[in-house]
Amino acid sequence: MTPQKFKVWMMYVKLYKVKILITLAVVMLMITAVWGMMSLESFYRNQTLAMMPMQLMFSAVNALIFVYLYMSLFRTGGTASKNIRMKSNLVNVKWTDVIGLDAAKIEAWEVVQLIKDRAKVKNIGGKIIKGLLMLGPPGCGKTYLAKAIATESGMPFLSMAASEFVEMFVGVGAGRVRQLFKKARELASGYGGCIVFIDELDAIGRNRTFSQFGGQETNSTQNQLLVQIDGLQEKEENVIIIGATNAPEESLDPALLRPGRFDRKIFIDRPNLEERENIFAFYFSKVKYDKSLDIKRLARKSVYKTPADIENIVKESALIAARDGKDVIEFRHVSEAIERIDMGLKHRRSLAPKEKEQTAWHEAGHVVVLYLLHPARDVFKASIIGRREALGVVHSNPREELFTHSKEALLADIKTSLAGYVTEKIKFGTTSTGVDSDFNNAMSIAHNMVWRWGMSSIGMVGNFSFYETTGHGSDLAESTKEKLNAETQSILQACLKDVEELLKKEWKVTEHIANELLAKEELEYDEIDAIFKDYGKSQTKS
Amino acid sequence: MKSEVRKKNLFSVFCLLSSVLVALSIAGCEPTYPKGKFKESIIRLCKKEYKIDVKVKTVGKTVAIYLPLTNLLDFTFALTPDAGEKINQVILNITRVVLSTDAKYDFYCVMAHDVRIPEIQIVIIKSVEDVRRFLLGDISRGEYGKRMLIDMRIAPQAQKERAIKDVFDRMNIEKKWQEGVMQDFFMSDPATLGDIGYWAGKFYIKDIKLSEFLAEEIASRIRFSFRDDKSLNDSLILKSVKGVYTVLDSASGGSRYFKIDITTEPRAIDGFNSKAVSDELFGYALKVSYEVIHGYRFEDFDYVEIKSLADGRSSKVLKEDLNNYKPRKTKIDDVMVFDAF
Repeated sequence: MTPQKFKVWMMYVKLYKVKILITLAVVMLMITAVWGMMSLESFYRNQTLAMMPMQLMFSAVNALIFVYLYMSLFRTGGTASKNIRMKSNLVNVKWTDVIGLDAAKIEAWEVVQLIKDRAKVKNIGGKIIKGLLMLGPPGCGKTYLAKAIATESGMPFLSMAASEFVEMFVGVGAGRVRQLFKKARELASGYGGCIVFIDELDAIGRNRTFSQFGGQETNSTQNQLLVQIDGLQEKEENVIIIGATNAPEESLDPALLRPGRFDRKIFIDRPNLEERENIFAFYFSKVKYDKSLDIKRLARKSVYKTPADIENIVKESALIAARDGKDVIEFRHVSEAIERIDMGLKHRRSLAPKEKEQTAWHEAGHVVVLYLLHPARDVFKASIIGRREALGVVHSNPREELFTHSKEALLADIKTSLAGYVTEKIKFGTTSTGVDSDFNNAMSIAHNMVWRWGMSSIGMVGNFSFYETTGHGSDLAESTKEKLNAETQSILQACLKDVEELLKKEWKVTEHIANELLAKEELEYDEIDAIFKDYGKSQTKS
Repeated sequence: MKSEVRKKNLFSVFCLLSSVLVALSIAGCEPTYPKGKFKESIIRLCKKEYKIDVKVKTVGKTVAIYLPLTNLLDFTFALTPDAGEKINQVILNITRVVLSTDAKYDFYCVMAHDVRIPEIQIVIIKSVEDVRRFLLGDISRGEYGKRMLIDMRIAPQAQKERAIKDVFDRMNIEKKWQEGVMQDFFMSDPATLGDIGYWAGKFYIKDIKLSEFLAEEIASRIRFSFRDDKSLNDSLILKSVKGVYTVLDSASGGSRYFKIDITTEPRAIDGFNSKAVSDELFGYALKVSYEVIHGYRFEDFDYVEIKSLADGRSSKVLKEDLNNYKPRKTKIDDVMVFDAF
């Protein structure tokens, strides 16, 4: 037996020592039982055999009672956790399968190389990576990337969600952390390394609270995690811990983030246009779709969508196409899938003709202002079919990823929100409660423009909301508040005036869209664009 | 992956359990004391485990064991503790062998004999089924004790021999002729359980039938339990009880019945004529008969006849009535038909 094989054998013995001991004990008991039976006289042997079914039944009943009591009384106790081990070849996520995380992949690849070449790094005196923290919004592929790292490095992969550590009883979580790392070290001793992946790390990694009223369990679990990560440095096992969270970095405990624990941080953001295109292409390659389907256009229409969202869109499109009796996915199926995901399922209500007409005009107003005034958003769809609480909706997409918003874009948002109200007023001489969410939106934007972002025309600069959010609202003079609120209202009034002027000017196209909506109930971007083009209008571009 | 591992584990458990079952089945097949070595097994076991020499003979479904002892009785004619222990050891061995063999035996009979006074012997007869039921917890220790027949007696063959020899001596018949006549006419096989014994190096046993065993057991139970019945014991002295199972030939009606003859004496002069005491005696005999026959689920009889020899009163209890009899509930007149009083 080679030393390597012996090492692996020893690892198995260590890993499964309890199981091995139990198996040996059972085998010994069986042998002694048979031996004992054979030494009995046939009468007593037959008597024992005859009683065996009854004894087995009683044992089973006893075991059931014990398990029931155990589960009832202690199921949240005990540190035993589910089977968490996965072999890297069973994770089976290849590096090439990770689509659209180019920047993150470059950083992660480096980590893979460091894991593989641990000895080389040590030889040149480099510091060995102990932990890798992946941050970013949900659904962006953090877990997927972790699995790809495991596959590429060829190491065993222990995966646990941090919430699995947390239990009602203090100490259980810490016990599970110890158990996890013990297993990781045992595996590392045989395979030359092991990756521990803790998903949703914030469940145990958030800032510790030092209060007498609770939080001890989370604290002790996190303390144990810190100890275990530190413990790894004293020993030579090649155990790398990968954490993933969608919570902001600030919410994690600083002790966890300090060098020597999670040494590397990879921010995995939502994909950009090109990445979205690749992701769409990847998921569409797994389904049958109409080859005329413009993936680039879909990528443009899915700004801010995560890879998980895109996967969901393709899955939902396939379902809709199948229900539609089609063999391939068409653009309208994708469009309906996006709409269903973003806006929810259609909920047909029977509206009174007057109410339906009012809704159509309201949505037409939104469409006209959005199309003609908004510098950053495209109309995606207009509909007067109810969804959730809304009677109608105008769905729009950002044209590109923007991480800040200009004053013009914000004003356009306000105007778009107010357009429904203005249209109702012009057409019917009265308005309805359907403006509620529009006003909330417009008000919120105008308020923030004035109070937080210095976008007022009265020259007051600063984040005045800071006082309110930090509990020092009384430090702000009432006169200042009055001025700020007056300016908020003046923005809304100015926007209202602009919208009124625009709609009166474009009344014909508004009327056309309203009538089309009444006739068709839903209008796609292409149909809306065609109407505007008929009137010689083109979309505002920033 | 999980399901594969689970399948593998289930397969391993299945293999383990199967091998254990196969091993247990193989282990459970062979009888410990095969038919062909039955007698040798008892002799060997008694010799090996207790250093007791016994002789064994089988007749039909009955096994007889002769146990010679040097100190069976003390000067008061009571069983010595040492002899009692040896008898128990032999009974234990015969029980072990008779239960773990493929030979079918219904009864066994232990005959303990004092070599100093060979005429006196203790005979213990047990039903193998009773032993099995006791060991399986189907009957209580007390009931088990009542179900064995224990008798200390002078060997009937010895009695016969002495009487006949006396006659021959008086007739001046030569010794060699005496032996021949004795063998041919007076040392015949026993006809009843009371004739069973061991005398002059020869077993006198018979193939015991359940019916005659039950008849004897009824008599034995009445005999041994009479003193426990305070009311009867205060009024009567039990002189003898005899139980017999009789099958009449077809000319006489072909009936099969148990006949229980009880002989008593009154303790007081006027007590004997009391109908109440007599009823009590019959009720008592009926109860014992019911317990025994019902306890063995014995069906091969038509009626039970109980007779009090002292007053000539007798009664028949039909099988159906006995089956419907419920101790403490059934009135004696409902099941018994008296011939005379």
